[in-house]
Amino acid sequence: MFDFLSMIFRYFFILIIYIFIFHIIRLIYLDIKNFHDGMEKDIPYLKLVNRKNQLPFPVKEVYSLEGSVTIGRKNENDIVLKDPYISGRHARLILDEGTFFLEDLDSANGSYLNGDRIMDVVRLKNGDRIKIGQVEFLYVSGD
Amino acid sequence: MLAKLFSYKTPQNLLVLMNAMALFLIYFYREDMDRTFIIAGISLIALIYLSNFLLQKISYGDHYLFLIMGMLVSIGVIMIYRIHPEYGLKQILWLGFGILSFFLAYLITKKMKGWERFTNIYVLLSMILFIATLLFGVKVKGATNWIRIAGFNFQPSEIIKILFVFFLASYYVKQNVFKNPYTFWVIVYSYIGFLFIQRDLGGALLFFLVFITIAYIYDKNRKWILYNLAFASLIALFSYFFINHVQVRVITWLDPWQHIDSKGYQITQSLFAIASGGFFGTGVGLGHPEFIPEVHTDFIFSAICEEMGIFGGIAVIMLFMILVYRGFKIALYQQHRFFRIVALGITMMFGFQAFIILGGVMKMIPLTGVTLPFVSYGGSSLISSFVSLGILQVASEELDGEQEEEHGY
Repeated sequence: MFDFLSMIFRYFFILIIYIFIFHIIRLIYLDIKNFHDGMEKDIPYLKLVNRKNQLPFPVKEVYSLEGSVTIGRKNENDIVLKDPYISGRHARLILDEGTFFLEDLDSANGSYLNGDRIMDVVRLKNGDRIKIGQVEFLYVSGD
Repeated sequence: MLAKLFSYKTPQNLLVLMNAMALFLIYFYREDMDRTFIIAGISLIALIYLSNFLLQKISYGDHYLFLIMGMLVSIGVIMIYRIHPEYGLKQILWLGFGILSFFLAYLITKKMKGWERFTNIYVLLSMILFIATLLFGVKVKGATNWIRIAGFNFQPSEIIKILFVFFLASYYVKQNVFKNPYTFWVIVYSYIGFLFIQRDLGGALLFFLVFITIAYIYDKNRKWILYNLAFASLIALFSYFFINHVQVRVITWLDPWQHIDSKGYQITQSLFAIASGGFFGTGVGLGHPEFIPEVHTDFIFSAICEEMGIFGGIAVIMLFMILVYRGFKIALYQQHRFFRIVALGITMMFGFQAFIILGGVMKMIPLTGVTLPFVSYGGSSLISSFVSLGILQVASEELDGEQEEEHGY
């Protein structure tokens, strides 16, 4: 009984290990792809205005915008900012026909565009300043 | 349900499946199965799964490291249990302590600041451990690198490994810790010298490789690297001609078949085991890895090759390659200079250690006894690897501190 099982199971073991390795490599590949695409010049991006070391949570200097992204404190967002002044799902940048729009998702402390709290969806233009919680970004349209 | 089990988003499910299958298989392996084994097996599965889950909650850094480690440990435990059930149970116990020390190391390294200032303490601690080994060392399997405390044998060199990486990193953060530049080289070579005296050749080689790679990347004085390489080759040549146990290693590497009944027995048995496995192996429990002496520690890879086949062996090598790749990526992205070097050092410790022993059992390089990280049986080796991985986990997160200017990515 054992001999028979072991003969069969050896194929399963190897199969599982390889599927596992394949998944990890796939996840790593997706990880790298996300990072390198942001390095091209003509993609719109958000640039951090604050001094990075003055914020008590991790934040990147540059977030490239390839499509619509969500910003918030929860890990499921595309841009995760662990700022206590930011809501779980705080705001959204929507890409529509080549231009980006900023939408506040009923956040507790609001999102500000050039100092004014936004009420509805607003269209972004090059050089706009977006303030969310303690973090301030500069929107660069890229072209 | 099945689709979710194989979903790419959750490789940890595959780990559970693998362990559950092994548990099921081993249940038939021995008729006189007792309850402790079932409990140990189920707690192993729960332990790996839950600690994965916990890590994703507390750390926003790299989550692949722990998964890769989980797979390596699972393969290791299955093989060790099959070779020697008693050791297998012990290994599961050590694994529990290891995961505990992983989280402890993670929290302590993260909460404490200023690790780069303690250069002298790292050196002092390592030297105390070395001297203690010399004085109270017990000779186990040819190398005098064990200390026995309260019935437990442990290898101080496993702790010194981590201290050594910290020492190198804290030195290369500024490179002006010592007034006399030669002090650094003397300290490094005293580490290697102590290991040599203990007859731990694999350890000495490992420390040297890690040191020379970090020096190659970070040392401002380029000529010194060449001098070091020349010096090391000289020592290697000298020890080949005048030190007996070095000579034995080289002779059994060049032609083990001549000494098949004595010195070359272990390596030839290992080669027989690898060869008899074929592509898919004989199946777990159906081979004869017990013919190889020390198969549960240094020669675990030969046993994997025999019972899981060449594909299993390649999988283990690939897992180590991904682990090293992740480590390099962590080092490249880390902005804190000290943790950047620590990440690099730990990654190379894993990588070189795996290379030394895998190359050794396959007769690609002279065989020197080091354990295969995470796979081999051994408490101190396992716990030291877990502590290193915990530190690497800290380094995978964004830490504030001194920005690195000259080596930006």
